[in-house]
Amino acid sequence: MKQALLWLFGLEEYQLEEPAVKAGIAASLVLAAACIAVFIVLLAKKRLRLRACGRKVWDRTRLILQGTWAVLTNSFMVGWFKGAIYQGKLKYLCTPGLNCYSCPGAWGACPIGALQAVLDEFDAKSSWRDPETGFYVKTPSYYIAFYVIGFIMIIGALCGRLVCGILCPFGWVQELLYKIPVKKLRVSRDPERIKLYKNPALAKLALGLDRVLRYFKYAFLIVMVVCLPLFYEASPWFCKYVCPSGMLLGGIPLMSLNKGLAESAGSLTALKLSILGFTAVLSIFLYRPFCRYICPLGAIYSLFNPISLYRYGIDDSSCKRGKGCSACRNACPMGIDPVKAPNSLECIRCGTCAATCPHKAIHAGFKLKTAEGTAIRTRRSKQQ
Amino acid sequence: MEKNARLSRYLVPALLILVGAGFLVYGATDGEAAAVIKKAINICMECIGLG
Repeated sequence: MKQALLWLFGLEEYQLEEPAVKAGIAASLVLAAACIAVFIVLLAKKRLRLRACGRKVWDRTRLILQGTWAVLTNSFMVGWFKGAIYQGKLKYLCTPGLNCYSCPGAWGACPIGALQAVLDEFDAKSSWRDPETGFYVKTPSYYIAFYVIGFIMIIGALCGRLVCGILCPFGWVQELLYKIPVKKLRVSRDPERIKLYKNPALAKLALGLDRVLRYFKYAFLIVMVVCLPLFYEASPWFCKYVCPSGMLLGGIPLMSLNKGLAESAGSLTALKLSILGFTAVLSIFLYRPFCRYICPLGAIYSLFNPISLYRYGIDDSSCKRGKGCSACRNACPMGIDPVKAPNSLECIRCGTCAATCPHKAIHAGFKLKTAEGTAIRTRRSKQQ
Repeated sequence: MEKNARLSRYLVPALLILVGAGFLVYGATDGEAAAVIKKAINICMECIGLG
């Protein structure tokens, strides 16, 4: 039992003498048990049955799920008590969502960080210094990060962007900020709703801008996560210059807990804090701006939405869109039309549409079927 | 036709999962997992914005 604990927590036997370590181990085990208990209670109360819950109950359940998962995956309390990070074997594995591996409590590695870490590896023997410019030219050891890509493929093929909707700590933080009761920026795709705005032209402009900005996350993925580390400089470009999750989950806690680290703060810290602050403020007014426009992990998972095992589908025989119902389109926080594109690349699979639909026409799961055996459409509709 | 649609519905993700598992194993044996943990168990000053 003792050896198993030492292996799990990545500690040496002499470290067990420290009170902070003992307290950390106990706290981690209690937290993990509490999180598992929450999952069991939600299962027992059938709160995970998306279509059976109303929208309010499902929204609350999803926030609890996200929070519990965020706590569970960051429950290495020894790190929180000592201002250090987990150094055990579980860090071979990636957590599905954007969870910085430099968070004091993080048990696993961030997929984007891990991807850049592999692409940053260079072969010192075949690297050389350019005599003219003085630059050290590095030959990458890996042009394709099979290990991390394999992990992302498994998760993506299983559930697509369900990770974004349920298992991402930074997504959860943005949703909590969005709960602050102020007037929201909602980009509507409902043409009838746009006509009702004070300035329909501005609403159409916002919609156009939103559509263009959604492609930026693919640009962040290709340029900052892949190309720059491989072909320009071996550095985690996205993590270093953009990712607000790293500052929130890693930088701020470690600077607070570790004075030595706090003294290293400089211009990069100011930049990252500004990006985090801007993202946080924008999240109060706009639902999940980071997920919509920037997150490269969401960009990768989005490609799996149309083909994953877990999917959304529309029972066209129950759907009343033709009779003027737009409940799902108006409810969708990501501003997509679930009836038109039930497995849209932008869908984070939050389940709000299915929980809102008054006719129970939206289905979600690994097996899509109605009680009557009618067909469920998972592909884009050309008619709607 | 319906049987074909059901087959492709499950076949494509199943293939992706198998290929993904293969990539995972290959990458792990090729030293990529070691590269991941080497980065993950040390505080990444750049990632947390220190500097």
